[in-house]
Amino acid sequence: MNWIGFETLLWKEVKRFLKVFGQTVISPVITTLLYLVVFGLSLGNRLPTHEGVGYVEFLVPGLVMLIIINNAFMNTTSSLFISKLQGTLVDLLVAPISNVAVLTAYVLAAVLRSLLCAGAVVAAAWLASGVTMRFPLQVLGYAFLVAVSFGLLGIGTAILSDKFEQLNLVLTFVITPLTFLGGVFYSIEVLPEPWKTISLFNPILYMINGFRHGFVGVSDVAPLLGLAFVVGSCVVLAVWDLWLLAHSRKLRP
Amino acid sequence: MAEGPLENLQSGRKLDAAPPGCPALRLVGVTKYYGSLCALDRVDLTVRQGEIFALLGPNGAGKTTLISIVAGLVRPTAGSVEVFGYDLKKHPMKVRASIGLVPQEINYDPFFSVNEVLRFMMGYFGLKPDQKRIDAILQAFDLLDKKHSNTRALSGGMKRRLLIAKALVYDPPLVFLDEPTAGVDVELREELWKYILGLKKKGTTIVLTTHYIHEAERLSDRIGVLDKGRLVRVGTRDDLLEEFGEQVLLFELERPVEQLPHGLAELGVTRQTDGRHLVYRYRNGNGRLNEVMDLIRSSGLSVREIRDRHTQLEEVFLKILGRAGGLPQ
Repeated sequence: MNWIGFETLLWKEVKRFLKVFGQTVISPVITTLLYLVVFGLSLGNRLPTHEGVGYVEFLVPGLVMLIIINNAFMNTTSSLFISKLQGTLVDLLVAPISNVAVLTAYVLAAVLRSLLCAGAVVAAAWLASGVTMRFPLQVLGYAFLVAVSFGLLGIGTAILSDKFEQLNLVLTFVITPLTFLGGVFYSIEVLPEPWKTISLFNPILYMINGFRHGFVGVSDVAPLLGLAFVVGSCVVLAVWDLWLLAHSRKLRP
Repeated sequence: MAEGPLENLQSGRKLDAAPPGCPALRLVGVTKYYGSLCALDRVDLTVRQGEIFALLGPNGAGKTTLISIVAGLVRPTAGSVEVFGYDLKKHPMKVRASIGLVPQEINYDPFFSVNEVLRFMMGYFGLKPDQKRIDAILQAFDLLDKKHSNTRALSGGMKRRLLIAKALVYDPPLVFLDEPTAGVDVELREELWKYILGLKKKGTTIVLTTHYIHEAERLSDRIGVLDKGRLVRVGTRDDLLEEFGEQVLLFELERPVEQLPHGLAELGVTRQTDGRHLVYRYRNGNGRLNEVMDLIRSSGLSVREIRDRHTQLEEVFLKILGRAGGLPQ
């Protein structure tokens, strides 16, 4: 195992997003806090509580999940895709670093970025409304695993994409709708049928609810089911990425 | 480009020793198809340790594909590749660790400085970043004053030099230079040539592709000619000249002749349309010069001047590719 190679790539990936800190951390944090201010602090008081949980407490875990999902995905896609576009991916493809090490380094950097963003939002929410975590380990575990799964999804998307437009298609037409419809802002209990049943087919619903359960102890689905979903996603996506890294003609024709 | 600072540097690089006499590179039956297009057709090639091997060929001949296959950037459709005795399929990491690749296309990472890029390259290849060595490489490639500049801010020539520095900073024993002097000015080209010859002195094996015959002639120990995916000839410059070269003698006569005297045509002599010049061309070592001279004399022709010329490597190259229209007269 080329540990120095792995450490170097991890450090390079972390340094990359830190170099554009304003764009990769500050900007998404501000956007998320705006959601919190508008939906939580302003409109939240007029919305009913859910199983005894106030709307701000309910909303914060959803928003944190939103920022984790977006930033984990965007970190791996943009880094890998830009190096593909610039031709610098060649440096990595000719280096004696295993595919597992490449994948792990890219994903860990994405996890770090999304946890930094998430940490900032949680800290702001705690300061503004005293939001706390009921099961901190569950929160951390979910945050880590969801970031891993979307970092992994980003790798595969970047490998298969030939244009920036294709990356945006996945973000705009798959991730964002599934996240918004996955219970960031509301409980699916308030949805009429058939939307309630349809929502149960959205994998992000399980991630958001499992994470929310760690904060407030309330969830639309069984938290263990959510855990199984997120672990399963990580495994499937990791296998998919490793297959692409080893066999994709987009990387090695 | 400064000379010398690299010579006494130890990179600390530990490679598994290649068995004595083992070639640096061995390709057997390497074939590559892109869909129905055959880019490489059953290429067999052995490059010895410590030599500079030039791959010559027109655009689309398969030079870059060949290099990319060895570097692991392109998958061969068939055939085997060994680098210092290690099979590419069985030991890809060992093969990659032995290779430095200077790609044809200039690339740069807009996020990082020159120094950071070189530190990353050392790390990727399993070496702890050694600032002393990086500084020496930067000095050798005249980039020391750009050490902390973003790679985006470099000029085209500087980016090209950084590309080469990246491939050499981890001191690979086998270096592929894919058209290293394409689009660079004459001064930089000369400096790069000096540097490449310096690497050879240190024992590095170099495979370079080039369009410039002069470059191949000046640098390489052996030359391989690729055409339409086939390695059509391999040899030293002298081998190729010997095999394909011609001597041409041009006899300028005092008075023009209406027709060629009897017997000269059989020896291969031709008359130019002005009637004032006779041309005798023969393969190296196969001339019948005495007989030609005797016949000219016995025919009563008076020769004012004899000029000779021999084939240049460029003409041999064109001849191998089957595109020569004969030597200029």
